[in-house]
Amino acid sequence: MSAIVRTVTPFLNKELLLQALKNIGCKYTLEGNDILTDRKDYYGIQKFSFSNDRYVFLHDSSAEYNSPYMNASRNYPWGNINNQEYKSVSEFLQAVGEEYEKLYQKKLEELERQRLEEEQKRLEQEKLAFIENLTNKITQKAKEEGYTIKKEKVKGKVKLVLTKNTY
Amino acid sequence: MAEQRIIIEIDENGKIHAKTEGIKGEMCLDELQKLLSEYVDLLSITKTDEFYQQNELKNQTKNINKNKKI
Repeated sequence: MSAIVRTVTPFLNKELLLQALKNIGCKYTLEGNDILTDRKDYYGIQKFSFSNDRYVFLHDSSAEYNSPYMNASRNYPWGNINNQEYKSVSEFLQAVGEEYEKLYQKKLEELERQRLEEEQKRLEQEKLAFIENLTNKITQKAKEEGYTIKKEKVKGKVKLVLTKNTY
Repeated sequence: MAEQRIIIEIDENGKIHAKTEGIKGEMCLDELQKLLSEYVDLLSITKTDEFYQQNELKNQTKNINKNKKI
């Protein structure tokens, strides 16, 4: 005997989950840690609740697409579930999951772009600090050797003109 | 009274271009070495006319001295 099990996307990030709901046209309200959707079933409003480090969708299991009740009646008498674009819970969760994964990928790309930008900035600052330090050391050494120093910046370069009179 | 001048340019990558003016012979290299050797790795040295002026003077003096001995 064999079986194939598919699980729903683990919704870990609230911000992404809310955006995913918005993107698929599901209205929601927030109540503490819960995200109340505009879907209803026998037990009332279907909602995402934070539990064990992830958001879990709480609903009446008889509202599942393959539940005996749904198969028998093909109608869901409670609430407005048949008026939703995503009629069954599994279809709804699949749509939310797909959108969530898309947003998650975008977020990763954005974070990677930010990381690269920050790394680039850090390297540039490191180089500028090196140049400033080098300029200061050479200036100090030139003073010790009796030079007068004129410092200027020309086209991004530091220019030091050192002069000393000899007899 | 003579004026010695050293122009040092540090570019945006931290590379240095240095040029001496009014310092003849190997003294110009000595001066640059004093100022920079602790902080940079030298890539190349191009000797200008001023560098050879003093060296020529030294050679001429040597020749004169030799002739005197003979």
